[in-house]
This record gives sequence, C-alpha cells and structure tokens, in this order.
Amino acid sequence: VGVAFPLLQALQRVNGRLLEENPSESLLFDVVLITSDSQQQQQSSRIISNTRHHGLEISRFCFSSEEDFTESLLKNNVHLFLTTDRDEAAQASQKGVFSALLNGKVASSEQLRVVFCGDAVIRTDAEPPSASQDAAQSFWAQLGEMRRRFGMLDSPLSLVLLTSRGGRESCGTALQTLRSRGVNMDEAYSLAGAPRSPILSLLRPHFLLINHLED
Amino acid sequence: MSQNNGDTLTARGPDLTSINNRDPWEDARMKLKPSTPTRKPKPPKPENAITIGVSARVLFNMEKEQQIYEQQGLEDYIKYQVEHETQPFSPGPAFSFVKALEAVNTQLRELYPDSEELFDVVLMTNNHAYVGLRLINTINHHQLFIERFCMTGGNSPIGYLKAYHTNLYLSSDPDKVREALEEGIAAATMFTQEKITEVSDTQLRVAFDGDAVLFSDESERIYKAHGLDKFFEHEKAHENKPLDHGPLKCFLEALGKLQKKFYGKGQRMDCPIRTYLVTARSAASSGTRALKTLRSWGLEIDEALFLAGAPKGPMLEKIRPHIFFDDQMFHVEGAAEIGTVACHVPYGISQAMPKKGINDKETSSAPK
Repeated sequence: VGVAFPLLQALQRVNGRLLEENPSESLLFDVVLITSDSQQQQQSSRIISNTRHHGLEISRFCFSSEEDFTESLLKNNVHLFLTTDRDEAAQASQKGVFSALLNGKVASSEQLRVVFCGDAVIRTDAEPPSASQDAAQSFWAQLGEMRRRFGMLDSPLSLVLLTSRGGRESCGTALQTLRSRGVNMDEAYSLAGAPRSPILSLLRPHFLLINHLED
Repeated sequence: MSQNNGDTLTARGPDLTSINNRDPWEDARMKLKPSTPTRKPKPPKPENAITIGVSARVLFNMEKEQQIYEQQGLEDYIKYQVEHETQPFSPGPAFSFVKALEAVNTQLRELYPDSEELFDVVLMTNNHAYVGLRLINTINHHQLFIERFCMTGGNSPIGYLKAYHTNLYLSSDPDKVREALEEGIAAATMFTQEKITEVSDTQLRVAFDGDAVLFSDESERIYKAHGLDKFFEHEKAHENKPLDHGPLKCFLEALGKLQKKFYGKGQRMDCPIRTYLVTARSAASSGTRALKTLRSWGLEIDEALFLAGAPKGPMLEKIRPHIFFDDQMFHVEGAAEIGTVACHVPYGISQAMPKKGINDKETSSAPK
C-alpha cells in the first residue's frame, strides 16, 4: 500500500459518517486518481483492480500525459491535488489548482486530520488573491461546512491550525479569519518559532495545507 | 507572507453580530483586543529555555465555565465561551507565579540580552480552539507574555509537553499531572484558592517540601511502615548516603542555573530568585541527610526550614512564596488556608494513604 492509503481510508470513513447523518448528503469527498507516468498507465487495469481489491472507493482514474496533467486536474474540477512530488504540486499550483504535499510518514489515526498552516491564512489586503489562493479558500470553506455536519465530540474529521512563526496574535487572527469564512478549528497550536517537526509528528496530519509550498 | 504583530490592532467596541459584507480581515482586527503595543522580544528556543507549561484553568479562573461544562456539557460550554469571547477571565492560581517569571525574564534580558536561558511560559490546554480567542484576548488584557500554546481539542497534552522540553507542568487535572510525572516531567496540581496573600514583585520565591518532592519517597515509606523512631534511626544511619531524587529536583536544578546567572553579575545577596526547603524533618537529626543530599547533587537551596513536624502554615506566611510544592494534601490545604499558592505533587507513598494530622505524626506510630 502506498503513502495515500490511510488518507483514502480516512476520507471514506468521513463519507460514511456523512451519509449516516444524512443519506442524501451531497458534500462528500470524491477521490480521483491521476497519473502521468506512462509506465503506470500501461498497468492501468492492474491499478484499477488493485484499488478495488483494497476496498478503496475511487470514482475516476485519469491517465494523462505529463504535459497536460494540470489540464486534467482543471477539467476534473479538482478542489485539492495531493502528491508527494513537490514539483508536480508547484506546477499545479501555478495553474490555479490548490495543491498540497502528502505527508510522507503514514498517518495512523482513524480520524481525518487536516492541518492548516496559519501563516498562510493571513495575507495583506494589498496582495490580490491568486487563483491558487482562491482555490485554497474555497476548499477550506467546503471543509468547514463538512466539519459542521458533525458535533464537537466524536467527529471523523478534525481541523487543526498551526502557526509557526508569529505568536499568539498571528494565531488569533488566523482563527478569526477562518471563522469568518465558516471554518471552525478544533485544535490550535502557536509555535512562535519553535521547531515544527516534533509538533507535526504529534499532530499526525493526513495532509498539510500550506501556501505556495514555501514551507 | 505578512504577519499581524499586534502593533496595528485598533479594537474598539466589540461588534459580535454583524459579520455580513465586511472584509473578514477587518473583522479580525476589530474583535481581538489589543495586546501591549511594545516591541515584543522573540521567545527562546525550547531547548534553551526553562519551559513552564500551564493549563488554562490554573492560569485563569474558569470556575463558572467549568461548572457549565460539568452540568450542561461541551456544546453549551463552548457556546458560553464564544459568547463571552471579549470578556477576559480573571487570574487563576498560577497567575502571580507566571507574572513573577516574567519579571525575572525582564531582569535576565537586561543582564544578558543575547541569552536564551529564560523562562518560557506555554499554555497547554485540552480546550478546543473555539475557546482560543477568549484565551488570547485574556492574555492580551493581562499583558502576559505568552506566545506559545497548544489547544489540543480534547487530546492529551503530554506529548506536547515533551516536544517543548517542558521543565514544569501545572494543571488542575490530577490525572494529567500524574501522567506528566510518569513521563519524568516535574508537575503539580493546582487548586482555586479563596485567599491569596500578596507576594513580592521583585523576587520570585519558590518553596519545596523535601520528601517525595525534591527527594524520593524512600524515607517516607520507612516512616509510614515503621514509625517515627525507626525513621530517625534510619536517617541517622544513612546520613551520608544521598537520597534518591524526587520529581521536582530537576526544576530546582533549572532555577539554580538561572540563579547562577545573577550571581555572575554580582547579584547574590538580592538575587531575583530565591528557593526554600520547607520540611517536616528536624534540623537536629533527619535534616542533615536532606542537606547532604542537596550538596551531593551540587544544588543549593537558599533557606532550609526544618519544622520537626510543626505545621507549615506560619512559616509559609513568613516566607510568602509565589508557589509551594508538597506531596501531601494536608499541607497543601493548610498552606492554602493562610493564602499561600500551594500545589500538590501526586507522587509517592502518601498518595495511597489517608490524610494524617500533625498530631498523629508527633505521637508516633503504629506501623501501617
């Protein structure tokens, strides 16, 4: 199994709970598997049957060429593109697709844990929002809405805010800003310059949402 | 990437109802109460600092909210907190201790402007991030220098304590305190006190009980099993054998490290940090072993008070420490009665035993 396996399982658990709450729920996670690797494409039927075998619910498979995988992403109206390849993520981001790096270490919790790097939440009014930032915000808003389908306790999904550089003001402002966009955090951590990795390894995110992959 | 560094907040008049068409960024600025508009020093790296982890309920008084949580549940509690977001909490039992730590930091920064050997207070709370804004507003209101926090939304904070190299953890939850002790982190339980007497604002004073706090509980076990006479005999016989260390030893060590920095600048007589040993041992006999143990560890304590079983209250009243650590609730409660901020170290043999009066101790003993 690959790096994204636990993530997919967690996504499916969230979907399951959402449907439990409301069988006609339409705000669900929809997973698209995309590859531009020609070798993998040759094994497409194997990939498909493997995913079925492991009980992964993948709605679409896209086998595209390297040049237009970002086109594929846009065509498929992808809200979040996850990859372990930094360059791929940067490329997609430039084309306005909200991208994030998959956590290399396999996350172990049942609960889907999404970590927002708060330093990215705050931006000055002077900077016009880039296409990627707009995509990011719309993704967060949807996550926020999804989170609201569940109560405070026993949620299959947890939203975590992490601010690395600023102090409590940065974190506070990020909390405020996110809340005004309908995204309420479950947990918040202000590092004020303390090293990130010990905290990240405790947070066990399935994925980290950061801005422009600068961190 | 820009950061809001607090200097430009203009909050006036909380406007909780209308979010509407305004830019969320504007709203964020308006709702947060302003923090101290001075240039803030950078927090030290955790491995260099003496990190004190405090929970929300010991830093601030959240009694009312705690009641709501216990009686009406989490959702109502959160709702209440959010509704009262701009209303700061009043100080809790750890507040004056934290203020005193900051005063020491100010003095350390003056003497050693480039050093990171400072106190660093981290808010370690189980609370959900929903309560975050009220906590941040309160920190701003009281002008505390707390830049780091972990709001774990119900998860255990213990892992985070370790990630921050925490030297001392203070909480109102005895289970979390025990967990921390088991992980080798100095920790103590704090309680809300009716009365808190005034303490110095120029000198941080920290008082420790001896057995099962600075030292292990090995001698206390002997006393409990075999009585006072046997205890004296044993201590005399083993006078030169250092006691094993207790859970707060490393915190005393950390304080000593900072004290030496003041000595280095000629501030020995009026050092801004002063430590006390307040023990039921007696100077004439069992006290010797305690002092020799400290010496063997290379640790100094400024004042050692051997009470020979007498109540600790009057002595604490004289000393006026910012904080006093004891393993026996009897002494913690006694201290609290006279207004000393006392915290319980749930460690050692005393935890399994029912409370004993001092009279019991003096008249000695049937083995338990």
